[in-house]
Amino acid sequence: MKIVKNILAAYSLKSEFAERRNKLYRIAYSWCHDAALADDLAQEAIYKAIKNAAKLRDVGTMDSWLYRILFNCWQDYLRVKGRNVEFVEMHDDAQLEHTESYQQSQIVDRVRASIEQLPMPLREVVTLADFAGFSYAEIAEIIDVPVGTVMSRLFRARKNLKHQLLDFGSDELVEFKLRRVK
Amino acid sequence: MSIDEMTEDKLNLFIDKQLDTDEMNEIHQALLDDKVLRERVCQLKAVRELVGYAYSEVPPSRYEVTKQRNFNAIYTKAIAASVTLVVGVLLGWASYQYSPNAINAVSAENTFQYVANHVTVDHLQRKIILHIDSGDVQVVNAALNEVEYLLATYRNAKAPLKLDVVTNKTGINILRPEMSPYINRIQQIASNDNVSFFACKRSIDKARKKEGVEIVMMPGVVTDKTAKDIIPGRLQEGWVYIKA
Repeated sequence: MKIVKNILAAYSLKSEFAERRNKLYRIAYSWCHDAALADDLAQEAIYKAIKNAAKLRDVGTMDSWLYRILFNCWQDYLRVKGRNVEFVEMHDDAQLEHTESYQQSQIVDRVRASIEQLPMPLREVVTLADFAGFSYAEIAEIIDVPVGTVMSRLFRARKNLKHQLLDFGSDELVEFKLRRVK
Repeated sequence: MSIDEMTEDKLNLFIDKQLDTDEMNEIHQALLDDKVLRERVCQLKAVRELVGYAYSEVPPSRYEVTKQRNFNAIYTKAIAASVTLVVGVLLGWASYQYSPNAINAVSAENTFQYVANHVTVDHLQRKIILHIDSGDVQVVNAALNEVEYLLATYRNAKAPLKLDVVTNKTGINILRPEMSPYINRIQQIASNDNVSFFACKRSIDKARKKEGVEIVMMPGVVTDKTAKDIIPGRLQEGWVYIKA
């Protein structure tokens, strides 16, 4: 009976990981701006999570645990490739077919380009906070730095982005339609 | 805390709700009085929203594409026409619950920027529903702060606004005089002609059953409709939906 229970628990955990795969992919994409690489990173993170599922003591912390694994996969990748990775083109026109208008795709381009110019530690923190919606404490846990470092990186990233984006043209920002996908 | 002490760091903590309640309220109060400060907060929120927005559409992953293809191949033929109607009916409510962003939806924290942007471009009447389904102190405080900010902003801009605050689940408790710590503040807000408060009929019935007593609401609260009756209809009419 205990074996059956364990099998069911493992199966349920695996499903939970799979459900989060798309979110992992998206945050990985925000770091690397490369769909194929983001896919590989998400896949590797899920594989490692399943392999190390026994180490997850509290299911309530599953999200930050998974993102931490993803972050480590990303760091491993950067270490192998070297910090000066030349990222591939962010996206082509075909991939933008879902955006609502040319103007909106321009905003997306501009914001992604600005994020791409941030130093990697700032980029990682700002996307975890402002895209993935993690709290400061969760980000500190994911990237394994003190909360103060998270705050300082986040504030520097936003200051930098504000400087780059807000002279973008107030008209375009006025027309910007807020949408959030979680 | 004077306006000069509102450092960028402090404002970042404010927009991320990382300050304690007193400090949050202090900054909120300062925002009502200071246009420059409001602008600084709007800019920070705009940056935050833009980052989220930039990745709301990403190229589909190979995994999703494959999964979709497999799903289509296996199940397309199996979907019987007889269930289509049922699915359609359910989808109407499900899409409202889980994907409100498809219909002019903004989260409560986006309101500053949303309003700031739109008040400057037109003076058409804005119709907004604020949906509160929790009695959590932080959620309710933030929501009421946003309501006050909305009212002040529209009043200052002399722009028309219609605001419906719809509560359900434990959110209805904020409208109960005998137990809500917010009742005076809410009454103050409700004194505006353009603001209406709703308490979900179904949630009231459930609370009555659970507590075994009559559930008394603040005078003026509309209690004869469910949240399901109110929200989807307003969304279809183009109201902006804000989830607290």
